[in-house]
Amino acid sequence: MNTIETHKLTRKFGNLVAVDNLTLSIPEGTVFGFLGPNGAGKTTTVRMLTALIAPTSGTANVIGHELGTDNRSIRRSVGILTETPGLYDRLSAEQNLIFFARLYDVPAQLAQEQAERYLRMLELWERRSDRVGGFSKGMRQKLAIARALLHEPRVIFLDEPTAGLDPEAARTVRDFIKELRSEGRTIFLTTHNLPEADELCDLIGVFRTQLLRVDTPVNLRTGLFGRGTQVRVVGNASGWASTARSLSFVRQVTSQDDSLLVTLDNPDEQNPQLVQALVTVGAQIRFVEPIAHSLEEVYLELIEDEPATSVQN
Amino acid sequence: MDKILVILQKEWLEIRQQRGLMLGVLLPPLLFTLIPLGIIYLSGSLVSNGSLSSPGKSFPGPTFAGMTTAEQGQAVLGSQFSIFYVLLPVIITSIIASYSIVGEKTSKTLEPLLATPVRTWELLLSKCLAALIPGLMVTWVSGTLFVIGTAAFAISGRVFSAIVSPGWLVVFLLWTPLLGTVAIAAMLAISSRVNDPRSAQQLSVWIIVPFFAMFFGELAGLQVLGLGFTLSVVVLLLVLAVLSIWGASRLFQREVILTRWK
Repeated sequence: MNTIETHKLTRKFGNLVAVDNLTLSIPEGTVFGFLGPNGAGKTTTVRMLTALIAPTSGTANVIGHELGTDNRSIRRSVGILTETPGLYDRLSAEQNLIFFARLYDVPAQLAQEQAERYLRMLELWERRSDRVGGFSKGMRQKLAIARALLHEPRVIFLDEPTAGLDPEAARTVRDFIKELRSEGRTIFLTTHNLPEADELCDLIGVFRTQLLRVDTPVNLRTGLFGRGTQVRVVGNASGWASTARSLSFVRQVTSQDDSLLVTLDNPDEQNPQLVQALVTVGAQIRFVEPIAHSLEEVYLELIEDEPATSVQN
Repeated sequence: MDKILVILQKEWLEIRQQRGLMLGVLLPPLLFTLIPLGIIYLSGSLVSNGSLSSPGKSFPGPTFAGMTTAEQGQAVLGSQFSIFYVLLPVIITSIIASYSIVGEKTSKTLEPLLATPVRTWELLLSKCLAALIPGLMVTWVSGTLFVIGTAAFAISGRVFSAIVSPGWLVVFLLWTPLLGTVAIAAMLAISSRVNDPRSAQQLSVWIIVPFFAMFFGELAGLQVLGLGFTLSVVVLLLVLAVLSIWGASRLFQREVILTRWK
């Protein structure tokens, strides 16, 4: 079942197209990474999906509620961590949480319990009575995450949840996100931290006004770069490149010093044949390992291929 | 209703925690009550001078007809200060509303607030009531003390009736909530364009300017706060309040706040 479905969702601000025909389906229980450069329209997309602003055209359905028709139900059912935490400095951590919980129709007693539960979970319980104005950035961020969860939403929108956090706090938040996923919740994550997206996300969408690609991290890599094997040999590898190229299943071969970088369709099955072919012609193999393309390489490849498409109509 | 009460509680909690704001809310009514009562008391204490006890040249208007010089003096002085109760609701509500609305902008809490299921009219009503209720309470308490003090210090019933006139009572009871409402709506419009409560308050001074015309009218003896005039203005203020709330509600839409507020 898809928790979020959009069909040609578009948002214009005057002549500027911020989001252009976004069509997307996100299954329940998925951590979906929404990646894109600054100004790509990610925040605008999140604002539409959380029923904060209306689309110019197109439709969206969030947890079975139609955008435009059932906006209050959408807002009641989702949690959101906005780009800036947005907390009341003069209120305590607990007061902040209880206030927002009540606005999410959480009864007073339960609001108290939920506030305690999440303050403890995020290691803020000892500071519950302190004014938020005295909190560090990391503490504010954790408190804002707690706020997004008080009403137990099934879908959570997290905008840069680990931005500005120290490594320990960032690790706490990432582990927390994994825990939320294990509970079957859907997480819509926007982040510039690509290793984090790689670690957390089941699906990744690369976006720049339009959706450029959406797939699992593995498929994104293989789709763009194929699957590769690095063969380290004794001596210069360039002499053995032609042998590798002669194999029918090899898509591409490059050599760098003592390494042959070979792109294959199915390394698991074809690596033994590749190695055998090289050994037969006299190559001395040091080791064989898969070529790992980072998500950053995937992202940059996609973004650089596509110019900014926010159209001035 | 629940959400309105929740927001009101939060607003008043925040107000109580801001010393500067509390001073701005409590000091003007204190001054507007003590100073006039002090002057009325002092002017009444001059009655022992025989020449002031005899009928003198009368100020224009039926209010002062037949009054002694002393009575006229006290009545005129007291009437000047009664106009302050026109200013109080505008000042107090503007101060509170500026902190309330601009404060949400500066702390960037508007978006998380709007992301909740709260309806915009609930939020708007809460913001209005959060400023209006304290403004009215403070105005009516200080005005009541002014009335009690005037009753105690007025040298005659005629003086009391001249100061706490029917026109003034209309102002005190009917103008104040309407003026407060208009001030809040104006502050909402101002707050959408500025990012600092003090800037918003500085701009809100222009709301008070027309009322100084009334003050000087009273000083010139034009009897501005006559019953007929004040009742006419009630109708005008009612229309103005409705229009200003309508305008404020158009400014206070989720989409407008998130995309057009500076």
